[in-house]
Amino acid sequence: MNYKRFIYYQGTIGMASSMIFPFYILLIKNVGNSYAQFGWSYGLFALTAALCYPLIGKYADRVGDKTLLGVYSWGMAVLLLCFPLATEVYHVYILQVLMGVLGAVQKNSEKTVLARFVTKELAGTQIGRYHVWTSIAAAIAVIATGYLVDFLTIATIFYIASLVYAWSGMQLMKLKEVEAEI
Amino acid sequence: MKKIGLVLLYCFILCLSAYFYSAHLHDSTAEAHQRLLPVKIRTVKPGTDEKELQQLVQNANRSGDILSIAGMQHSQGGQTVYPDGIMVDMKPYNQILEVDEDAKTVTVQSGATWADIQEAVNPYGLSLKVSQSQNIFTIGGSLSVNAHGLDIRHGGLSDTVLSMRVLTADGEIRNLSPTENKELFYAVIGGYGLFGIILDATFQLTEDELYVTETQSMDFRDYPAYFKEQVKAKPEAKMHLARLSIAPESLLEEMYAITYETAPDQSKLPEHKQLKTENLVAVPKFFLGLSRINDAGKETFWKTQKTYTEGIDGKLVSRNNVMRSDSEFMEYDNSRKTEVLQEYFVPVDEFESYIPELKAVLEAHPDFNLLNVTVRYVGQNDNAVLSYAKEDMFSLVLLINQGTDPESVADTREIVQEMIDVTLAHRGSYYLPYFGYPTKAQMQKAYPRTNEFFQLKDRYDPDHRFKNLFYEEYRP
Repeated sequence: MNYKRFIYYQGTIGMASSMIFPFYILLIKNVGNSYAQFGWSYGLFALTAALCYPLIGKYADRVGDKTLLGVYSWGMAVLLLCFPLATEVYHVYILQVLMGVLGAVQKNSEKTVLARFVTKELAGTQIGRYHVWTSIAAAIAVIATGYLVDFLTIATIFYIASLVYAWSGMQLMKLKEVEAEI
Repeated sequence: MKKIGLVLLYCFILCLSAYFYSAHLHDSTAEAHQRLLPVKIRTVKPGTDEKELQQLVQNANRSGDILSIAGMQHSQGGQTVYPDGIMVDMKPYNQILEVDEDAKTVTVQSGATWADIQEAVNPYGLSLKVSQSQNIFTIGGSLSVNAHGLDIRHGGLSDTVLSMRVLTADGEIRNLSPTENKELFYAVIGGYGLFGIILDATFQLTEDELYVTETQSMDFRDYPAYFKEQVKAKPEAKMHLARLSIAPESLLEEMYAITYETAPDQSKLPEHKQLKTENLVAVPKFFLGLSRINDAGKETFWKTQKTYTEGIDGKLVSRNNVMRSDSEFMEYDNSRKTEVLQEYFVPVDEFESYIPELKAVLEAHPDFNLLNVTVRYVGQNDNAVLSYAKEDMFSLVLLINQGTDPESVADTREIVQEMIDVTLAHRGSYYLPYFGYPTKAQMQKAYPRTNEFFQLKDRYDPDHRFKNLFYEEYRP
């Protein structure tokens, strides 16, 4: 995977994830009804991520970043399809745990790719540039989605985000293995 | 190969998810209505069986608790709530008790919805005579607001009720019908839950039929004549609805009408018999969303509605399906704004002179966000004490987007009162289930038997066991 492709990929999934994360609270509001439940659902997400990092870290070096990013993209694509079906708070908890695992996969891989690519001397500039593009993508997505939720149902957002994830997964698969080894 | 497999697997899960989601959507009673009237009630008691409900009323008589009765709670004037009272939730009390195929009747518990009845009677080739345009409401709720719908041949809802059983404030269960306990019968219909808990009701049904859709656009001035000659005078025309434009350029000028006429060839009914479900919610929801934003959005919404209507001209549809109008696309979630309804009734002959005056009120308030105006026909029917159809009327339902802050509420109140004054000046009346904007004097004028209504309330429920915010607002 070349670096440009990687930024493109991160931009895509950044869009997909910022489509759902801020608005996702709307779903919890429909499903649950207390601040404690909000706290728990995000807490579970962070906790599972914490537990997964050591394992993911080990795997990252063995199976490669591309595979892990693929697991993340397709995993999220499928997981988001379950969200519109959530009717109980515990459904949300289960989904949050799974999202925690996948979130950890993404965070770790994002950093390993960066670490493998950037040259130490130019790390600041390169990572800065990386963040510009991924943040722009996220910003556009979050604003556009705000309007979308007004027009469509919250469930539609999850379906759209799922499709974006699936598309990012396809993009990853298109990359040649040679490219994948940075 | 692996890639294709993965993509196919994803598509499969996508379809599965969409399928379960839509299935869940259609059976859920999830409510998303906005509160203009946040009221703290003490408890909600689900109505499950008759004995328990009786016990509940008797207990309340001993403890002095106030009871309010709730179905789907889509009334907007606090008809289902009372501060610190006990709300009796009738939704679980929803069994279809009997479908009599020969007598063409159905007996249902009051928490059942019109959709429940349709599902129960459709296999027998039967259909409701009168129901609300949307089928999400409970029977008890619709009876309590004396609802009306698209049917133009079977009179009012009260004409189709053969009998009902009502649990009154003394804890007794009474049979009511047009011949038995007649006075109470016509007070309970359109009684806004103030005379007791409707337990079950028996409705006269008619046969399901195949209709052909006739659509026509016109200037509003031509509408009354069109309705009289092309709809009312035509025996095959059975159901009817029209829409007035909300687009600024043609505001309350252009309209289109949809009439459902008995199809000459009924042999295709079996193909159209299956009850439809709401599918493409996102499309109308999108256009309604546009229309909320600005005038350009309203133009687009109106044009789209017109094009859509032209497209359904000539389409075949079963009676039961006509009575299953979509409503989900209207769900609206906004913390600072809400959507309210108004409904005005105006005699058929007054329509032409009434509309320009209504338009003048709207144009004097350019910020008033009107989203939709539908027109239906209500034949003269004054058997309910609180009857709105003093003569043959057109009803106009207005969907309004408004803010929930005190200033917006005050603004809307002013406009609504002005609109009601215009309506009353044309021998019209307005519908009572909506937010308490109208004044007491307006209610007296629109409903000449208002005092009698409240006197009956005092007589049948002397301790005022059943109360709600509507009662508090409009009692003498």
